[in-house]
Amino acid sequence: MLKHLFKEITRRPMGVACLAILAFLYLGTIFSQFLAPYLPTDQDLANAYHPPTRIVLEDWRPHVQVYEQVDPAAARYEPVEGETAPVNFFTAGEQYRFWGLVPAEMRLFQVEEPHRIYLLGSDGTGRDVFSRLLYGAQVSLSIGFIGICITMTLGFLVGGVAGYFGGKTDFLAMRLVEFIIAVPSLYLLIALRGALAEHFEPEQMYLVIVIILSLIGWAGAARIIRGMALSLRQRPFVLAAEVMGQSSLRILFRHFLPNLASYLLVAATLSIPAYILAEAALSFLGLGIQEPGTSWGLMLQQAQELKVFTLNMWWLLTPGAAIFITVITFNMLGDVLRDIVDPRQQIVKR
Amino acid sequence: MLLKVISYPYLAHLFTAFFLIFFLVSCKGDIPPLEREEHDLPQDAEVSSTEPGNYGGVLVTAESQQPRTFNPLVAEDAYSSEAIGRFLNGLTTYHPIKEKVVPELARSWEISKDKRTITMELRRGVRWSDGEPFTADDVIFTFKALFDQRYPNRYMGQYTIAGEPIEFEKLDRYTVRFTTARPYSPFLYVIGFIGILPRHVHLEAYEQGELLQQWSVRTAMHSPEEFVGTGPFRVRSFRPGQRIVYEPNPHYWRVDSQGQRLPYVDYLITRYVQDRNTETVLFASGQIDIASITPGDVVGVRKNAPLHDYTVHHRGPATGIRFLWFNQKPGESEAGKPFVEPHKLEWFTSRKFRQAILHGLDREGLIQSVYFGRAELLHSIISPANERWHNPDVPRYPYDPDRALELLREEGFELDGNGDLVDSKGNQVSFQVYASEGDDITPQILSTFRENMRDLGIRVRIRYLDFGTLVARVSRHFEYEGAMMGFTGGADPSGGRAIYLSSGRLHLWNPEQEEPQTDWEARIDELVYASEETFDLEERVGYVHQMQEVFSEELPLLYLVTPHAYVGLKDRWENVRIPAMGSVIWNIDELYLGQEK
Amino acid sequence: MLSFIARRFLTMIPLLLGISVLVFILMAIAPGDFLDVARTQEDIPAEYIERMEEEFALGEPWHTRYFIWLGNVVQGNLGESWIYRVPVTELLWQRIPATLVLSALSIMFALCVAIPMGVLAAIYKDSIFDRVSSMFAYAALSIPEFFLALLAVMFAAQTGWFPTGGLSSVEHEFMSFWGRMADYAHHLVLPTIVLGMGSVASYMRIMRANFLDYIRSDFVTTARAKGVAEGRVMFVHVLRNAINPLVSASGFILATLLSGSILVENVMNYPGLGQLIFEALMRQDEFVVVAAVMMGCVMLMLGNLIADLLLAWSDPRIRLEKN
Repeated sequence: MLKHLFKEITRRPMGVACLAILAFLYLGTIFSQFLAPYLPTDQDLANAYHPPTRIVLEDWRPHVQVYEQVDPAAARYEPVEGETAPVNFFTAGEQYRFWGLVPAEMRLFQVEEPHRIYLLGSDGTGRDVFSRLLYGAQVSLSIGFIGICITMTLGFLVGGVAGYFGGKTDFLAMRLVEFIIAVPSLYLLIALRGALAEHFEPEQMYLVIVIILSLIGWAGAARIIRGMALSLRQRPFVLAAEVMGQSSLRILFRHFLPNLASYLLVAATLSIPAYILAEAALSFLGLGIQEPGTSWGLMLQQAQELKVFTLNMWWLLTPGAAIFITVITFNMLGDVLRDIVDPRQQIVKR
Repeated sequence: MLLKVISYPYLAHLFTAFFLIFFLVSCKGDIPPLEREEHDLPQDAEVSSTEPGNYGGVLVTAESQQPRTFNPLVAEDAYSSEAIGRFLNGLTTYHPIKEKVVPELARSWEISKDKRTITMELRRGVRWSDGEPFTADDVIFTFKALFDQRYPNRYMGQYTIAGEPIEFEKLDRYTVRFTTARPYSPFLYVIGFIGILPRHVHLEAYEQGELLQQWSVRTAMHSPEEFVGTGPFRVRSFRPGQRIVYEPNPHYWRVDSQGQRLPYVDYLITRYVQDRNTETVLFASGQIDIASITPGDVVGVRKNAPLHDYTVHHRGPATGIRFLWFNQKPGESEAGKPFVEPHKLEWFTSRKFRQAILHGLDREGLIQSVYFGRAELLHSIISPANERWHNPDVPRYPYDPDRALELLREEGFELDGNGDLVDSKGNQVSFQVYASEGDDITPQILSTFRENMRDLGIRVRIRYLDFGTLVARVSRHFEYEGAMMGFTGGADPSGGRAIYLSSGRLHLWNPEQEEPQTDWEARIDELVYASEETFDLEERVGYVHQMQEVFSEELPLLYLVTPHAYVGLKDRWENVRIPAMGSVIWNIDELYLGQEK
Repeated sequence: MLSFIARRFLTMIPLLLGISVLVFILMAIAPGDFLDVARTQEDIPAEYIERMEEEFALGEPWHTRYFIWLGNVVQGNLGESWIYRVPVTELLWQRIPATLVLSALSIMFALCVAIPMGVLAAIYKDSIFDRVSSMFAYAALSIPEFFLALLAVMFAAQTGWFPTGGLSSVEHEFMSFWGRMADYAHHLVLPTIVLGMGSVASYMRIMRANFLDYIRSDFVTTARAKGVAEGRVMFVHVLRNAINPLVSASGFILATLLSGSILVENVMNYPGLGQLIFEALMRQDEFVVVAAVMMGCVMLMLGNLIADLLLAWSDPRIRLEKN
């Protein structure tokens, strides 16, 4: 089935574009520690609010332009004529743990101290925005992914069971689902966060957010799945399986799941943007990921200053663009999938 | 009906709607000028020395916090005090341009030969904003109330000299005499702190034990006319979370040289905004008349100046101080939990530890980045803006992580195999710092602090609290390890005695000690008392300088940075006299709207 | 109709009760009780604390507390905000209309933009206009609301054409009635656009899809055969039918708006329910948090109810189908 989907997606130019962008994003996320020249907490107070450093070609090698601070009062930097620093590829830097497990030192590109390479400029304490964007991607993109996995699993279990067994189980499950849907999501997010946050350390906020996003999200999925389960239930092969004496659990997993899988995929793809936006919103409000962690929403909160606009420090707003690109890609991909799987648009976006 | 609207001719409706809105907006109209009541001027009306102006205009300011109370005996924070100061007067006040104490409700005074008795003549003919006459009875009532054990307040301690409350008696309708246990040189400055309360308004509540419930936020919302005072304004309306509107007090006792009763402005409005950034945005878009601008925003805000006719003035170094400190309070809470874990208390009470931490903080880097170069290192508990009292020759702590490690090693700390700092007993050094949210600079300072400490092998955790909660935690619950806060600076150091004295309520690291716990705190107490007993200015300065030396040597407060103060003000206001220290609109009653240029 | 409304209310009640239990449990999970922070504030008199403790039985186990609290709620006593020292009902009374107005205006704005766009996109299917408007819909949907709000505030600051936030200017209480209305309108423009943007996309896609469906139907062919002008066919006959799903979608959209308004209200300093709940949460003003969350749910349910009613009123078929 996946192969079939993949083929269909690649038949459409929009599908190809989306897949390419997503692959790019997620590869960047997986290898962010390798791709980022600096750690997200690496400060350099002498280079605060530095604009993106220009890259020039010298001797067929990329060099980064060296700047000097001309006017600290306005954070203005001017390039120093003729001075550049070579960009070194595949060199060792400060140690990090690849995926928290394997210690490694190699980085894709770096520049020798004391020079700096700021592909997207630096923030108020001289931290590299590009690196923070990559590390932030780890949080922002994975939260959506993990949250969706949990949500879809829960949704499938509850919705599938409800649809299959019907009767009282169905009734109770659906009331529960309606109940959760009846609360405006951000309100509930905030209330849940308020309740749970005190029990966790600031560094564990990631877990908290995933938990509360999943707790709210599964309801919508459950409802859709239940609807489909209801119709599947009457299909001959299900009845046959029952007659043959297969256990309910087996039926659920061996018969329902494959048939629902494609719908699940579409629903998941269409829901990930909501999770990404929710995490960004929470972090922006200061209720999500907090220092010393980093996420796109948190970076935007830190860019919420007048001087960012009056002094035209556009690079501090790139996390907004990153969120935008990610979300729009998922939305488009979701639509493409929906076209393939469910042309009559039975699935409503959550 | 619904459907007819949503058909394509509706586009025309849409356009009409937009035009209507803009048309109406332009008809918003100006605020109608205030109709002023006519009353006789008091006998002892004070004549302002500034250029006479004309009535009219609305002055709009912004604050990040709204007042918590309008009762001077309850007010603990600067925001409530400022609001109260609009409608209440003290006996004296500090003139920031002349840099000395000048009469307010007291028109003159005499100090006895032994310097212990001060006889004050009150201004005659002054009336409260409800028309009742102001007399010595009000002064006596105010002091009786503030010393009443039923109503604990911050003035009790402030007006207790050498263990004895100031004595006060009424000599006649307009004369009050104060006596102190020993000569107290800051008396005239300090006596002006408390706003004189109207006896006829509060007497009943006072007698029934309800004085502290009076003049609350509730009163402001529903019946602000109950705020009776002698100050330049009275409260017209208060909407919590939004704004407060003041209007002129029709019985105010100051006039200009043409006999016009002050203030000139028709209304003073203070908007409550969430944070510093919003305030700056409001000012830069011309919606408020005055705002303090952080060094980083100056360039950006100046760009918009031609659009909205304002100027960003440079005022020199800021007068307040900002610092980090560690909790040094021994003992346990009621629940039996020690305020600070014993091994951590050992660190915090070690001078070398504190000095090392300050050496380990890259304040120079902060100045260059977060303050855009427009700041200087703070070395003393009194800001360099206060030229008369600031001691420039105190010990300094430039950024020097090597020296920091040296000092730590002298105290038995060592870096272990993982690069973490451990004390002589093997405990890993880590602590938590509380701060309040609300501006962009605090998180940047603290994240730098965290990174700098990491270089020393120390783990720091930062937690942000709401301002009120932070104050409560450090001044009443004492359950914290480190914290960051600031104090506004006063003109005379006696305003800070609650911080300096070991018995002081604001002696943050270990407040309200019965006996000074350490030698150096005892020394500071001595110096403070000595400075208060002599009336010789040079001697006083000498003692205050020595006190600053002890503070900078022992470092109970780790000073941060003195930023340059910038204030943005709309050009159309006349009679503005920007002082070196204090509020830019200190003479708000004299400000008037100049003609459009 | 009335029986429909009645039945809906009946289903709403257990839902509301359930939500109240949920919110209450959430508050119970958070460490401390409703008055924890209030106790630390010096200027809050001890009698106030005592009175609140008594009224809401804060010393009792949580199940007892819940019923007492519920009893209070039914009587209209939602507690007091220790930040503002006023009963919560007063605060809500001030804030709810602001959020409702903003949400309603956003929906109207979104409809005004989305309907013509959707219709035109359907009529000129697969044209450049169709593709461009589709991209625009995606973009509007994908841009994070708070980011858009941030851009809007800065735009207002730089141009000075609109206020940078709030609902009323300082001169508000001095204005005449029409002046005040204009003042509100002026302040509402940017928040409405920001909040409405996201909904534009949803509405547009639904509009387009439904319009396409109906274009192919019989009655359109009939109308054309009868010689009705094309414009009238499209905008009167087809539109009438295609609009229905939009109305029901509005209920759903209201939910999104109520949620999203927290972000917009926060960034743009708009004094609505969202800002209230956020501030209350940050400062641990528990009574307000509980009440505000409940109010949000109530508003959402009412919104859904109204959407369904509108739907029933505008489409006779549905009225019949209900039974």
